[in-house]
Amino acid sequence: MNFTNMRISSLVSRFGQYFFAIGSIAVTTVVFINLRGGLDTTLIALLYLIPLGLITAFWGLGPGITSALITFLTFNYFFIPPYYTLAVHRPADVVILLVFLVVAVVISQLVGRMQASLIAANAREREATQLYELSVALTGLHDDHAIAQILAKQVQAVSQGEYVSLNITGTASFAFHLPETKTPTRPPELAVPIQAARGNLGEILLWKAGPVIASGEMRLLQTFASQGALALERARLAKAESRAKILEESDQLKSILLSSVSHELRTPLSTIKAAASSLRSNEISWDSAARPELIAAIDDEADHLNMLVGNLLDMSRIESGALKPKREWNILPEIVESVLARMRHSVDEHKLMVDMPESLPFIPVDYVQMEQVFTNLVSNSLKYAPSNTTIRIRANVEGETVHIQVRNQGPHVPPEHLERIFDKFYRITAADRVTGTGLGLSICKGIIEAHGGRIWAENVSDGFAFNFTLPLTWDGLLPPQIPMDTETE
Amino acid sequence: MSNEPHILVIDDEPQIQRAVRTILTEKGFRVTTASRGEEGLTLAATNEPDIIILDLGLPDMDGVEVCARLREWTQIPIIILSVRDSERDKVAALDKGADDYLTKPFGIEELLARVRVALRHSIGRQGAQGKLIKAGSLTIDLVWHLIKRGDEEIKLTGTEYKLLAYLAANHGRVLTHQNILIQVWGPADADHTEYLRVYMRQLRKKLEVDPERPQYILTEPGIGYRFISDE
Repeated sequence: MNFTNMRISSLVSRFGQYFFAIGSIAVTTVVFINLRGGLDTTLIALLYLIPLGLITAFWGLGPGITSALITFLTFNYFFIPPYYTLAVHRPADVVILLVFLVVAVVISQLVGRMQASLIAANAREREATQLYELSVALTGLHDDHAIAQILAKQVQAVSQGEYVSLNITGTASFAFHLPETKTPTRPPELAVPIQAARGNLGEILLWKAGPVIASGEMRLLQTFASQGALALERARLAKAESRAKILEESDQLKSILLSSVSHELRTPLSTIKAAASSLRSNEISWDSAARPELIAAIDDEADHLNMLVGNLLDMSRIESGALKPKREWNILPEIVESVLARMRHSVDEHKLMVDMPESLPFIPVDYVQMEQVFTNLVSNSLKYAPSNTTIRIRANVEGETVHIQVRNQGPHVPPEHLERIFDKFYRITAADRVTGTGLGLSICKGIIEAHGGRIWAENVSDGFAFNFTLPLTWDGLLPPQIPMDTETE
Repeated sequence: MSNEPHILVIDDEPQIQRAVRTILTEKGFRVTTASRGEEGLTLAATNEPDIIILDLGLPDMDGVEVCARLREWTQIPIIILSVRDSERDKVAALDKGADDYLTKPFGIEELLARVRVALRHSIGRQGAQGKLIKAGSLTIDLVWHLIKRGDEEIKLTGTEYKLLAYLAANHGRVLTHQNILIQVWGPADADHTEYLRVYMRQLRKKLEVDPERPQYILTEPGIGYRFISDE
């Protein structure tokens, strides 16, 4: 429906009210004229009050008062002798007429006022409901866009405007329009600023042709604007708070990292320094048995230091998202064998078993990173599993992924730690005597996740197991089949 | 002019220069050092060293570029020094003609082993290449295409033989995946590392005593393979 039509229809209905009011009086008068012989004048005056009350109740004060005045005239004209004149002869009739006029007007006014206040009360209730709905809808929203959307919808619903636009300013300014499909060609009829305690957050623009926006409506829109301002401000504060929290946490993490790192770095450095300086001084004779021991310590600790620095570098790469696997179609057993061959010297106290089907397809992984995953998982198992136990590595294909398990016969890990062991510098016991960087498992996690896989730990019947999955597809491609030549030289 | 082998070390870190110089001088090499790429290139041209040890992280130019510029006019063996996790750079330098690489920090044995291999290749270039390569119980005759473990002859397929022959002819040197793929399969298959993986696995099964712990063909993670001979 367009707005000119609405205006006309409202005029028509307003005019109609008067028309019906006057009509009712006319009908009543005709009825009373027919009864005029049998009814007393005073009774007629009383009876006239009934339609008057009803008219006011139905159509309001204006038609009520108008009807009262018309009734006064018709009553005088038709029912006060001499009939069909406005002249009054008997003084008693003058009194009746005056009393009637006063009562009619008073009743009209009373009923009319009651009616008006009822309408006002209804309007207030509707406003309150709309406000309530708005604030409920805005509660818990932490996104500027969502807030703007809700606000625009509510403004649209309340104002019945043609077009609503919300301009939100701030770090990321944007505008939200409703309906989204059309754009207005003229300037908006109404602009309500969204004013928060800390400044202007934007404005609500309303396009609404037609009668001047009523003050109640204006007030409601302003209330909406301030509700919107509150919601926006709340969202921004929440965001700022979470940012501050993240910063604080990362700060904390950094200081933990620094203290842990400096501790970890100092340990091998101390050994190297002590060994090197004692070799340099003349305290240890050339043929002393301690000599090769000290030299070995320097060598080993330098390697440890190197590993530590490497791990830190990997970790920072993982965290900054710079760890990009250089994928190739690789043979999993080759990776595992190469890792185990390199670790052979450090696994003399454990038994290692590899159980992988020869039919295992190629896996699209970064060879070096995968080697590191196995190195870290196996060396973790070596650290915690008691001597003379077995560490088993097995792999099997499950659909389009390969599931790999590194299982040891080490102690169970309390369930609440199972997930956290992949955290940086996380150690189950505070005074963990086991050496390491505290980064190995989180690096594994970073690498596996960069490959699109998942890693988890679990307690198994006879020990503890690391599990991880890796996708077998690479950009949607399945592992290739290699053409083999069988012809012999 | 003395007869001891001459090594040019191009590295901008004084500590590394000092350590390498001390070790190599002690081992009877003559050592010249340069701390910048340009200086290294000049010294390489004027001094004609037997081996160049080149750090990839130089202040004035990229080590890979130094490598490429050297290869424009000389085949002097180049050993690359670089830090861990820069497989890409190492592979780039090796593909540009470097002979070998060493990851910092490195042990003295590793350094000397690389220098020895490089020196052998430097000399080998002047004389005839060895056509009979021995590694443990393995004998590879590149003239007669004959491979034996002890007295037992090992049958290889065409591709397997080509692969082994290329590795053995370059024994001691690291060969990149791409390098091997181009030589054995041809430039069109330069990126098909999976071919190499499969054939290498087969080859190891036929040659190695314990294929899970290869002694002859070593994997250089992320880079390539290296054949270890007795020499």
